[in-house]
Amino acid sequence: MTHTTEVLVIGGGSTGTGIARDLAMRGVEVTLVEKGNLTHGTTGRMHGLLHSGGRYAVADQASAEECIEENYVLRDIASHCVEETGGLFVQRPEDSDEYFREKLEGCRECGIPAEELTAEEAREVEPYLAKDVKRAIWVPDGAIDPFRLCVANAVSAENHGARIETHAEVVDLLGDEDRVTGVTVRHESGPGKREHQKVGSTEDIHAEYVVNATGAWAGQIGDMAGVDIEVRPSKGVMTIMNCRQVDTVVNRCRPKGDADIVVPHETTAILGTTDEEVEDPENYPEEQWEVDLMIDTLKELVPILEEARTIRSFWGVRPLYEPPEVGSDDPTDITRDYFLLDHEDRDDLNGMTSIVGGKFTTYRMMAEEISDHVCNQLGVSAECRTADVPLPGSEDASVLDEGMDRFGLRSPIARRSANRLGSRAEEVLSSVDPNPVVCDCEAVTRAEVQDAIEQSGTDLNAVRIRTRASMGNCQGGFCCHRMAAELHPEYDEPTARQALDELYQERWKGERHALWGEQLSQAMLNYALHATTMNRDADPAATGGVDYAAFDDGTDATAGGEGERGVATDGGDHGD
Amino acid sequence: MSDAESPDDEFEPVQVFGDETEMDLRPGSDDCYKCSTCDTNCPVAEVDDDFPGPKFQGPEQWRLKRKEDRDIDDSVMKCSNCMRCDGACPSNVPLSQMHNTARGEYVDEQMDKLSREYVRNRILSNYRFFASIASKMPRVANFVAGLGVTTWLGEKVMGISGEREMPEFATQTFREWWEDRGGAQVSNPDKRVAYFHGCYSNYNTPEVGKSMVRVFEHFGYEVMVPPQRCSGTPMFANGMLDDARRAAETNVEELVAAIGEGADVVASCTSCSMSLRQEYPELFDIHGIEDLAAHTYEAVEYLRIHEDLDGALEDADADFPDLAYHAPCHARNQGLEGQAVEVADRIDGVEATDVGDSCSGISGTYGWKEENYDTSMKIGEEMFEHMEAADAETGLTECPTCAMQMEHGTGYDVRHTLELLDAAIVEE
Amino acid sequence: MAISDDVLVVGGGVAGVAAALAASDRADVRLISHKQSTLRSASGLVDALGYAPDGDGPIVDPFDAIDDLPEGHPYERVGKTAVREGFSLFDDTVGDMYRGSHTDTNALVPTHGGTVKPTARYPASAAAGLASDGRDALLVGFEALTDFDAPMAASHLDAAGVPFDARGVTVRFPGEFRADAKVTRYAHALDRDENLDGTPARTALAETVKRYLGDEERVGFPAVLGDDDPAGVRADLEAELGADVFEVPMGPPSLPGLRLEDRLYKALEEAGVRVESGNPAVGAETDGDRVEAVYVDRGRRKVPYHADQFVLATGGLVGKGIDSDRDGVREAVFDCYVPQPADRYDWFEDDAFDDHAFARFGVDVDRDLHPLTADGSIDYDNLRGAGSALGGYDFAAEKSGGGVSLATGYAAGDAAGAAVAGATDGATIHGDTQ
Repeated sequence: MTHTTEVLVIGGGSTGTGIARDLAMRGVEVTLVEKGNLTHGTTGRMHGLLHSGGRYAVADQASAEECIEENYVLRDIASHCVEETGGLFVQRPEDSDEYFREKLEGCRECGIPAEELTAEEAREVEPYLAKDVKRAIWVPDGAIDPFRLCVANAVSAENHGARIETHAEVVDLLGDEDRVTGVTVRHESGPGKREHQKVGSTEDIHAEYVVNATGAWAGQIGDMAGVDIEVRPSKGVMTIMNCRQVDTVVNRCRPKGDADIVVPHETTAILGTTDEEVEDPENYPEEQWEVDLMIDTLKELVPILEEARTIRSFWGVRPLYEPPEVGSDDPTDITRDYFLLDHEDRDDLNGMTSIVGGKFTTYRMMAEEISDHVCNQLGVSAECRTADVPLPGSEDASVLDEGMDRFGLRSPIARRSANRLGSRAEEVLSSVDPNPVVCDCEAVTRAEVQDAIEQSGTDLNAVRIRTRASMGNCQGGFCCHRMAAELHPEYDEPTARQALDELYQERWKGERHALWGEQLSQAMLNYALHATTMNRDADPAATGGVDYAAFDDGTDATAGGEGERGVATDGGDHGD
Repeated sequence: MSDAESPDDEFEPVQVFGDETEMDLRPGSDDCYKCSTCDTNCPVAEVDDDFPGPKFQGPEQWRLKRKEDRDIDDSVMKCSNCMRCDGACPSNVPLSQMHNTARGEYVDEQMDKLSREYVRNRILSNYRFFASIASKMPRVANFVAGLGVTTWLGEKVMGISGEREMPEFATQTFREWWEDRGGAQVSNPDKRVAYFHGCYSNYNTPEVGKSMVRVFEHFGYEVMVPPQRCSGTPMFANGMLDDARRAAETNVEELVAAIGEGADVVASCTSCSMSLRQEYPELFDIHGIEDLAAHTYEAVEYLRIHEDLDGALEDADADFPDLAYHAPCHARNQGLEGQAVEVADRIDGVEATDVGDSCSGISGTYGWKEENYDTSMKIGEEMFEHMEAADAETGLTECPTCAMQMEHGTGYDVRHTLELLDAAIVEE
Repeated sequence: MAISDDVLVVGGGVAGVAAALAASDRADVRLISHKQSTLRSASGLVDALGYAPDGDGPIVDPFDAIDDLPEGHPYERVGKTAVREGFSLFDDTVGDMYRGSHTDTNALVPTHGGTVKPTARYPASAAAGLASDGRDALLVGFEALTDFDAPMAASHLDAAGVPFDARGVTVRFPGEFRADAKVTRYAHALDRDENLDGTPARTALAETVKRYLGDEERVGFPAVLGDDDPAGVRADLEAELGADVFEVPMGPPSLPGLRLEDRLYKALEEAGVRVESGNPAVGAETDGDRVEAVYVDRGRRKVPYHADQFVLATGGLVGKGIDSDRDGVREAVFDCYVPQPADRYDWFEDDAFDDHAFARFGVDVDRDLHPLTADGSIDYDNLRGAGSALGGYDFAAEKSGGGVSLATGYAAGDAAGAAVAGATDGATIHGDTQ
């Protein structure tokens, strides 16, 4: 199987999908391949902070300025992915006054609106802040849903003619040592939407130009091309709280350090993070001390975190890059800036550019720059429009303020649905009747699940990132099987079962890091529901070989009559 | 000054909402693990699918909330505040507190203050105000309440169900009786209780209060009857948290003063004891409120814990009818659902049958509302049937509104456990 | 001391009820429970032993398999006789509400997930659904009830190799219920045979299903067929459909679990056991090797409940008898020793269904069910443990929860009753009278 395209983008994170959208909108024919789900790599493993730039305002003012610029752009084009929470840099008594002053001045120098708040004012904004905080700086930080943003970029790219292939891993590059002319991908199923049980195939995709947007994995693509890309992957832990202790992004106002941010994210709050260099972006230890560090350090800012329930933890790998000559030892010293590596200039390898480093908040700007570069190579003169045209779902921001009592949904369900679907809410929510809630924790209805299945096939993790179903406090214990049932009968039972198993295991993977207190009780209840009540751990459909005839078939079981019918005097129990 | 004449709790038809401290209950959702036991206990959800159940109204709705979210789903007004969900939750989710707070927010921010529903709810929740007027001329009040035109007006104009009979007002209130008899007849600085009689024992069933006094005096207690206002139960149920707070301020002040004089607080109405003990500290931040919660007991509970009640009842007999006992939801919530039958079992000559764990359905003011009447009776159906199947023609319960419902559904006379104790111990 | 009894059972699940019933013929018993039992989260099936600890199974005869259980397993602790006694106590208590007592052999009951599960006792309402019954079955799901997808469950049963044809349909439940109506709403409508759009609920449901019914001789529904009168609901549906009707047990909230709870509490009432719920037991007053009283927290006040003998039946992680934080796992009332790996990351395995240490958290007991300290000595002479508060078994993997609760509850209650009786008789026996 072969396919020809103008530009091939490798990597379905924010940068890759941003590039695909940008190029497609300029009329370029684009194919994007991603080895997992969209956001599979780093994008899906971040704390969801939409930087104001305040964080970099002292040490890296160039980045800070880019952040505030893009912050404003995303509020416009991705309103249904952004929650305008605002952010605080909070100073504790032991934190330096000097740094606080530098932060305030730095923000002003970079054009970041910043306002100093007294401790009382800060606690008025966030009542759960520690009583002894000294003061704070308010900045326009925000929260952003990286999944929704990435999916919206991909959908937009598709709407402009792009081909997006997920679960399509690049196994080889085509071409020779002078020129890359395409890639060989292995489709896990298909090509097309992922379907469990459907056999995959291998496909050669020929392209005039290849963009390596694989972030922390860029070195691996580089290896296939025989060029060195010195990515310095650095891992960071993020711990998810069951509910929002804060509605504003809360940063610790001190020079770089671990565990210094709490980001309100949808129904949860995310604690972050650490910064530790790793060899392999996919294989690194996930350890207890990292989780404990988040809670034990951040409770100095928000004491309630000590007793609050965490529902899972996850690790992300930053795609840090620095030119080899810099030679930083500490990953926290490596710049957060991005680099466009034109392999023609750099390695005498034509037809491919890699983009490395950078931050989620500036993904669009990075995409614009590399798209400009690609268009230059292809002789395309169209201008970038991604800063002006809203993403699908954000065409009409007023939807987000409405959504009450609509579609027969209770108001908090309608409200959260409208938040997630944006201007698509009406279309999606009115498509199914009856429309029961499938995921109670996150208020996700059948219509929304069905809509996501239509987009992504049988991959329930892809459904999850689109809808948030199974991301609440029961971590899928009560809804994974309901989600799988939504696949049926369009997809057959073994397919749905396999999809269920995969989702359930994925949920477990993160929940393991939160197993104490309420979440341990939750895990035991989930386990009991799935193993005891449903016997999914010893399902004969999987294990086979049950001698049904050897078991009780009910013959001779009837001991007597069915008991009394009608009213009894006992308060609710009537002979059965 | 006697509370009966106290002019300070006038009913104010227009409420001015001040800037209250924001209460945020999202952390309460941390305890929920979705087992839905609360839903299986909800008597409203069982008969009315417009009510989405306590799990949704409580931990789910709160968890889905953001700070800027102002709207509360209007279905919260269907919650009858029976608080059975509290007793169900194996994980201590503050369900009723969530419901009370959400209802308060809903009424505060979303309900039209000129609407019939709002005015009606305020009147119902300020029962004490009207009762205090009615009791000044009980015969006239009873006569007016019995008029067909009153019923018609109530239903058409106010939305109060015409199916309900207005409670009868006693010709002498409990407090009048108390003053007539010269107050406490036992003086004992070491054993004191402050009696929270609540509105109903005062205005409608003073015999319950009298029994309370006689029984406690029998055990050597000095009974105090401090000034007091409504416990707040009907106000919580209607989201009238400001009214409730005003009443609570008086109650806390007066009762804490009594505690300072060495008294514990006892109530004969289980909703009143529930309110002082649980809802007060959950909803309000008033000086002394924790102290009051810690010192509040239901009357029979108090005797079980502090006296050898079993011993006192040994060989006791009573000239009392056999009883069909209904445990009020609010008694159940305090872990008191078994004690009435346990007490009755020890008294010769009286048989008490527990009619089961269903809800009476009236839940205070809930069943009075025209729109809830049918639901209320559907919920009560099981209790009525079990009462009728029981070997008794008289009801027994500790909640005045449950008593109303029991009477309404079966025609039985309904008594209070304190009256039974009075008959067994004092009138030996 | 105002509140005092012979035996105080702390915990109101299956184990607590079994203990209270077993003790009640020889002693005055009080049972206290904090909240409602986890039965409402359970399917209502009462398992004995479906799989061996090494995963072998499904086991045909659980009583045979008990001999092979490792030391420390609750069944090994109490012995096979107590297991039989526990089940016989259950059978006497529930009467014909449950089936399965006619044989030692496990039954395979279809689950709402579409698998089959080995169990020892099943509600009469599930009896017509057994997987070893060769009759073809029609499964019926309701559109808005997302927990049971009948066509998918039927397909799954087929994949599980059941000896009959299963077919599934999804219908709209009659009446215009909102999509988030609770299972109790469905049950109530059927119990009361409510008029739904002009037709009585049972008839309306039968009419809805009838047109999908082919040659199948039995029809399975999600377990919402009544709360107060399930037999009546079933009988009417059977009459109208001309086929046997059964329920497929569901996860939380579970009506079969709720019905069983009602029945068990009715039995407590009949046995004269005093029951109190609503307030947690939070600690104990002890005197050397004896428990004197359990403290019940009545909201800012602790009230002592005195007794001669005590049973710890507070449940496991789900029932909150076993509690945990980042530093460790503990038993919540008597602070009995709970064996546990020191490192929190050793409490679990990486696969969701692997052999998790947390699933076996609970107190260690000797063969008389006395909780043991870390060094293996008896904690208190007059305290015995039962049910999921015990460690050393994984009820979810083994499918042994109900049976362990019955066996250990029975044994603990019986011993407590005997100790009381012995003391009254002037004997000096304490505790281990078994």
